[in-house]
Amino acid sequence: MKKKNSIMGMAFFGPALVLLTIFLFLPMLLTLGFSFTDYFALNPELTHFVGLENYINIFKDELFVQSFLNTVKFVIIIVPLQCGGALLLALAINKAAHCKKYFKVAFFVPVVMSLAVVSTLWMQIYSPEGILNTLLANFGIDPQPFIHSADQALPSIAIMSVWQGVGYQMIIFLGGLQNINPALYEAAEMDHASGWQKFKDITLPELKPLCVFVFITVTIGAFRMLVQPMVMTGGGPDHSTYTIVYDIYETGTVNWEMGLASTMAIVFTVFVVILTIIQNVLTKDREGRKHVHKKAKAN
Amino acid sequence: MSFIEFKNVCKMYPGSDKNTVDNFNLNIEEKEFIAFVGPSGCGKSTTLRMIAGFEEITGGELYIDGKKVNDVAPRDRGIAMVFQNYALYPHMTVEKNIGYGLKNMKMPADQIKQKVDWAIKILGLEEYRYRKPKNLSGGQRQRVALGRAIVKNSKVFLMDEPLSNLDAKLRVSMRTEISKLHRQIGATTIYVTHDQVEAMTMADRIVIMKEGVIQQVGKPMELYDHPKNQFVAGFIGSPQMNFFDVTVEKDTVRFTDGSTLTLSEGMLKKLNGRQGEMILGIRGEDIKMDAQNMEINSANKQHAVITDTEVMGNENNLYFNFGGTQAVARVSKYEISQIGDRINFVFMPSKMHFFDKETGVNYTEM
Amino acid sequence: MFTKKQRRINWILVAVLLVLSVFFLFPVIWMLANSFKPDAAITADMNSIAAFIPPAPDGNFFENYVSIITNTSFLRYMGNTLLYAAILIVLSIIVNGLAGYALAKINFPFRDQWLMIIIMLLIVPTETVITIHFLIIAKAGLLNTIVGYILPLIVNPFNIYLFRQVFVSLPDDVYEAAQLDFCGPVKYFFTMVLPMSKTVVATVSVFTFLNVWNDYLWPSLVFTSSDLLTAQIGLNSITSNENTTMGQTLAVITLVTIPVIIIYSLFSKQIVEGVTSTGSKEG
Repeated sequence: MKKKNSIMGMAFFGPALVLLTIFLFLPMLLTLGFSFTDYFALNPELTHFVGLENYINIFKDELFVQSFLNTVKFVIIIVPLQCGGALLLALAINKAAHCKKYFKVAFFVPVVMSLAVVSTLWMQIYSPEGILNTLLANFGIDPQPFIHSADQALPSIAIMSVWQGVGYQMIIFLGGLQNINPALYEAAEMDHASGWQKFKDITLPELKPLCVFVFITVTIGAFRMLVQPMVMTGGGPDHSTYTIVYDIYETGTVNWEMGLASTMAIVFTVFVVILTIIQNVLTKDREGRKHVHKKAKAN
Repeated sequence: MSFIEFKNVCKMYPGSDKNTVDNFNLNIEEKEFIAFVGPSGCGKSTTLRMIAGFEEITGGELYIDGKKVNDVAPRDRGIAMVFQNYALYPHMTVEKNIGYGLKNMKMPADQIKQKVDWAIKILGLEEYRYRKPKNLSGGQRQRVALGRAIVKNSKVFLMDEPLSNLDAKLRVSMRTEISKLHRQIGATTIYVTHDQVEAMTMADRIVIMKEGVIQQVGKPMELYDHPKNQFVAGFIGSPQMNFFDVTVEKDTVRFTDGSTLTLSEGMLKKLNGRQGEMILGIRGEDIKMDAQNMEINSANKQHAVITDTEVMGNENNLYFNFGGTQAVARVSKYEISQIGDRINFVFMPSKMHFFDKETGVNYTEM
Repeated sequence: MFTKKQRRINWILVAVLLVLSVFFLFPVIWMLANSFKPDAAITADMNSIAAFIPPAPDGNFFENYVSIITNTSFLRYMGNTLLYAAILIVLSIIVNGLAGYALAKINFPFRDQWLMIIIMLLIVPTETVITIHFLIIAKAGLLNTIVGYILPLIVNPFNIYLFRQVFVSLPDDVYEAAQLDFCGPVKYFFTMVLPMSKTVVATVSVFTFLNVWNDYLWPSLVFTSSDLLTAQIGLNSITSNENTTMGQTLAVITLVTIPVIIIYSLFSKQIVEGVTSTGSKEG
């Protein structure tokens, strides 16, 4: 019976395992291995082991440092706007007594569109003679270069990303709000809690794990910024919208410098893993406390 | 050779150091209806699942129809099973559920239809033929599960607590239906239940288990009247048999509260000279209060005050403190008493059981 | 139910949300309205409310769409993408579903360790291995082939995990009953497990479709031959062409969004459930 189970298990798990090995385990190992070499895909015979040299070099590489800083800028703009916006929208829609369904759809529509579509559309909107500049002119604002200037390109793309993404997190928050036991609010009402107190003492604590989740996923998402600058600006002007993942991609598949690209990929992965661990710790901690709380109550 | 034969069958789960089923020996004859009963965790379901082949037999041998089946796959054992939660295929209609096994056996479609029609008719499922399980009541699902079992012409039916998810009234009617089905089809049936009433009313023979060990095998009334030990005596019958700590000296039984009674000749013979501390057991209906019995046994008349009553309609249960414990007497509905009433009663002299204080062995059934 | 004050707050809230939603939708409305206009009209309407209103339907109403469909291979790209999505949906249900079932119900050696590994793989960002995928597919001589495009996308730790979580709660007795009905494990998986888990099958299908339809990076690496392009890559090559007008660009991006809109409206329940469940599961 045991033997039968191992045969059956491997028959069922086998196909996935083969593909996982080729397309996840092997690439991960290769990435790690390449990161210590100067592997050049067009001339693999000349590969040398270079130790930690790549790790030192990428931080001396101005372009990588700039792409890193750009990525951080994206994160700094996107995260508060998208998380805060999603939460506010969800709270407002949850509270609104009319047109709920319309609001949900309206703010979700951009999520439906692909990155390429949104980027192409906003290229038109951001164009110097485009609709946005025309609208702004009505308010007496001079035409702005938007994605055509090194100063404005990054914030313009960031705002567009928020516009596209905020509906997704809004739905997550709405789901969380609906999961809050209404009896909690009724009990608070009996205890003469004001609207603000109810929000502060019930809504926020109940939503806290979701907030952590949304915060981390939006942060990771912003870290992964690639397609929008690729389509809209090609990383420019003056590399002002060049991001880490963009750099990994170009170094690896355009310049074929796998060694360097792998090093960047490892650095990037470490960031993402750290963020994920932080999220797990923050949410676990809460569960732990909840547990202790329950125990205390039981006693 | 019997139809199903257990030879020292054992089951030990990995990581456990004790047999869950220990040295199980039993012969089941063809067409018999056997019930396995016992408290939860007694190994009755595990034994059933070993017959089905869902649990590995870790010791001993199991024969079905003369063939050793220890290493035979469930599907090749010629069995059908009715599961506790019915295990119907949720996305198939009643008809498809019942015919599924036949279809997989590559039976021709017209024959399948014939068999399914027969099963649907016998179980009164005509109206629900094209419904899916989620649109059926518990009783109807139960019937579909039975239908799935009976169409396959299996020689052995295994039923794992099939009625435990039904409400009380439905349980009673399904009980008679399953008995009827068994008489019609005549397949050897092994029925697992924790409910001794089900076992008593349906089974030809009952196997009582406790902690993986068979306690007694016998016809229902045999177990009721002649339990081999205190566990069987207490498990079978409701309300439970009364047990009193007593000391036997010669022909006198002394209760802990000082009451005494004198044993009859027949009982003394059964006790075969045994004396000392033991446990006296007597069923509620064998505690008598009517004038006739009181007169016959007037020498052993006892007294008590009623502390509680249970009015069942056809009969009444009267609770009173006696012999250092609470006892219950089962009396006819005409013998009305109320809480606080003083009563006189006698124990039917031939209906008493004496159990060993340590081992629980019934001295009067040796 | 509402007090007077609450009612007033509600109206303010609804009004603010309405205004906000109009601002929010203006790029989409502008896209739709102007995809029916020639470029001259787009520019002319730019400074009036007409910028957000489609032109009166006449013989030229669909001109941008017609010229895209007749002058470019865009329909073909959309067809390609649908084909890839269909193949990937089938393969990913089979491969990830079988693996999820093994992790949920078959007691094979190191099962729990494999599950742990799958969960850890959820963290790895795909961007980091995409260059190696490219290397592998290039070395295998599979660039510019459908196989080369599809192979790395089949297995997906998230789908395996999703399947596993659903399958683990399937009742064991149904499997036992099926065994007695002469139904082997493989047949059981395809004729029982999958039909019993319609919701997760639908969720995985929908998300696989959306991933394939919206993916940009991987197809842009694998496909250079114009015959095999996906809609998103085709869209980019069409709109970056000098001769493509603004109206045609808007028509293309509208076209590429239509299938997604259809999927969302058909499966909105599964999608919302999928989205909220990612939140509640991890949070």
